[in-house]
Amino acid sequence: MTARIAIVGAGPAGCYAAQALRKALPEAELSVIDRLPAPYGLVRYGVAPDHQGTKSVTRQFQRLFERQGVALLGNLEIGRDLPLDVLRGAMDAVVLATGLYGDRRLAVDGADLRAVYGAGAVTRYWNGHPDSVDFAPEFGTSVAILGNGNVALDIVRLLAKPEAAFAGSDMAPGLADNDVARINIIGRSLLGAAKFDVAMLRELAAIDGVVCKLAPGDRIGDTASAIGAAASEIMAEHAAASGKIDVIFHSGWHVARIEGNEGRVSALRLERPDGAEKMIHCDSIVTAIGFAADGHLAPAAFPGEAAGGVLDRGLFASGWFRRGPRGTIAANRADAQEVAAMIVDWLKAHADDRKPGRAELMRHLDAEVTDFNDWRAIDAHEIATAPPDRCRRKIRTTSGMLQIIHKARSML
Amino acid sequence: MKITLLYGTESGNAAMLCEDLMEELAGDNACAVSSLADIAPEDLDPGTFYIFVTSTHGTGDVPATAAQFYEALEANRPDLSGIRFSIFGLGDRVFADTFNQGSEKLMQALLACNATLIGERGLHDASAGDMPEDIAIPWIRECIAALMSSAN
Repeated sequence: MTARIAIVGAGPAGCYAAQALRKALPEAELSVIDRLPAPYGLVRYGVAPDHQGTKSVTRQFQRLFERQGVALLGNLEIGRDLPLDVLRGAMDAVVLATGLYGDRRLAVDGADLRAVYGAGAVTRYWNGHPDSVDFAPEFGTSVAILGNGNVALDIVRLLAKPEAAFAGSDMAPGLADNDVARINIIGRSLLGAAKFDVAMLRELAAIDGVVCKLAPGDRIGDTASAIGAAASEIMAEHAAASGKIDVIFHSGWHVARIEGNEGRVSALRLERPDGAEKMIHCDSIVTAIGFAADGHLAPAAFPGEAAGGVLDRGLFASGWFRRGPRGTIAANRADAQEVAAMIVDWLKAHADDRKPGRAELMRHLDAEVTDFNDWRAIDAHEIATAPPDRCRRKIRTTSGMLQIIHKARSML
Repeated sequence: MKITLLYGTESGNAAMLCEDLMEELAGDNACAVSSLADIAPEDLDPGTFYIFVTSTHGTGDVPATAAQFYEALEANRPDLSGIRFSIFGLGDRVFADTFNQGSEKLMQALLACNATLIGERGLHDASAGDMPEDIAIPWIRECIAALMSSAN
């Protein structure tokens, strides 16, 4: 009998899960659920707006919905519009692929001061996420970025790039305008052991007006590692240069506390394992130190170990929700294939017990659920109304998306 | 003609392009698609025309799914004379320093083993706005025409 499976989250983890399940189970009823009418999650709202090439992975996901019989149930939040238990009651298997929405908090004094922002919040703001409509960061002229990975480098690059360099992106015009002249990037490990991709560091160093420098007295450490070698080469090239924006790498420091002035961040006090200390003045801080569950669904709320992929009977996890905030978009593909194999085994072992699936689910829903055709109307509208030099103009609110959907439906 | 499309992929984009190319070529040819992870250099057969499609990963390397195949070429240098292939690379010029180096490395490794390149290496730039298949379909038609004229 046909298996009926729901995947919660239409981001890369959920879409790769649907892709792997479609391959393994050509006949299964597959439904991908998202709280927004717009699918693709972090590809749309997390991948930097100037990395449109990376976003082209959505073409694979589009194919699932257009040609491979996977249904999108948008504007439907599990836990708000529909209890997870009801969903599980209607489906033979459910996969949670909702990622990790929240920014991991920095646990030091001063972390609650104004102008301390999380990288996720800032990234959603630049990417036009509906949740960031009321978010208006004040970066000032000097920003400190905490983090040793590609998310931190994305933040540095997007702050450092001049507005004109966003031609062809989907960044809202004017959003990249800022007064930032100095960016301090602070990593716990030495630069030679940082988790930056070399290609990302080189991309940053190649921006017009950006000068990359090692903080005075700091050392790179391992200069034989790929990142260490690239960093030494770049720092040597930039040593004598002066530019519009200084990016200063602090190698091997952790934050001891954040100092404030009238409730707003004013400085960072840094420490090194050898006991050394220093102060950095800054107008704002962006933490890029990882992500954590935030919302109705948390990996720890289930009996099974999320990392193993099985949360409970017929309930599975994929992507960051499963294995934590590590790995690029592509890493979810291999992850999804593993989880799909587990689901196939589960379905085999429970072949005599089949649930009613999507049709039954829809009867229980009061919420207005949107589908992939509705998303196509939003997509077409965003592309058609793109400003000059931009590839799309994102609709900033769910209500704005629903308006476009209603208009498109009324014209059918 | 027997054609096998072989992909090396991280995100799945190269696999999807192989499926698109197969759809395009299947009418006139006996086509198959496989991941480079599922094949070894000694499996290659002179009676088949091979189309490699690969992205670039990390610091200009072949993707993980192609690594074993690539390393077997580099380490063992099997004699692939008589093997005819074309190669198409997926890249992104945002990462200018390593743009399409994965497909370049794989092509050089195949050539070093005496395989015969048909046509020129095809290239796609994900930041250029063209669809990969819009570049790759005319490219593969040219490669196949070149293969036919070399056979005559």
